[in-house]
Amino acid sequence: MSKDYQMKAAINQKLIEMGERERLKELLRAKLVESGWKDQLKAHCKDVIREKGLEHVTVEDLVTEVTPKGRALVPDSVKKELLQRIRAFLAQHAAL
Amino acid sequence: MKMEEGSVSSLDNSKLEGMAQDILSELVEDACLGLCFEVHRAVKQGYFFLDDTDQESMRDFEIVDQPGLDVFGQVYNQWKNKECVCPNCSRSIAASRFAPHLEKCLGMGRNSSRIANRRIVTGNNTNNKSESDQEDNDDVNDNDWSYGAEKKGEHSQKSTVICLNNIFIQTFFHFYFVFVHLSSINK
Repeated sequence: MSKDYQMKAAINQKLIEMGERERLKELLRAKLVESGWKDQLKAHCKDVIREKGLEHVTVEDLVTEVTPKGRALVPDSVKKELLQRIRAFLAQHAAL
Repeated sequence: MKMEEGSVSSLDNSKLEGMAQDILSELVEDACLGLCFEVHRAVKQGYFFLDDTDQESMRDFEIVDQPGLDVFGQVYNQWKNKECVCPNCSRSIAASRFAPHLEKCLGMGRNSSRIANRRIVTGNNTNNKSESDQEDNDDVNDNDWSYGAEKKGEHSQKSTVICLNNIFIQTFFHFYFVFVHLSSINK
């Protein structure tokens, strides 16, 4: 199992070093905005804030309320496209 | 051996797939966190609810979609048939012709000096009184080498010839210099 862990760490490092992680992040952000995910989630944030009170909202509140919903709301097409790119990267650079 | 390799690679494939999923969920979580930070900052700085407007003011500024009006509801071609008074010659000019007229009237556009020179050359032979008012203004602002137009009444043949000669000489010199310059480059 630790070998997997090592491999994963190596892959992550390579992703960061080659700038691919940044590019993937930007791509994901752009796709999410385009698909309306951000607006949906922002509306959900508004509800959470109204519930907790504007003055007393903390980052932790938002994170615990918003992250699971955010993960579920990601459209499948976006997931597919990102997975494609990640798989391509792994195919190129994981054969060590 | 080949079968072993095949099974090993399929194991690798599922591992790789698992890794890809992990990476994706990390990226998604990053995106969610980013949004949370953005929203939290907006809440604390007080601009989170700024874009919420009530229904009535939304209706006030709705896009107008009627013929003859622009999106703000203003009439956009009402100045087409208006007439403006030229400050120079005090004539009433149509709005769409006003800018070119002003160009010629003040003698300041690109074409005005050219037209003025042409008029000097041709206007010598035909005495046209109707345009003389405009010509006066053009002549005042003309280039100095069309000196033949300073005296309005005395359009003699001699001044025309001198004027024409001046034009030819200038053109000749221009071409000569260009030719010399080009031949010096070729050498």
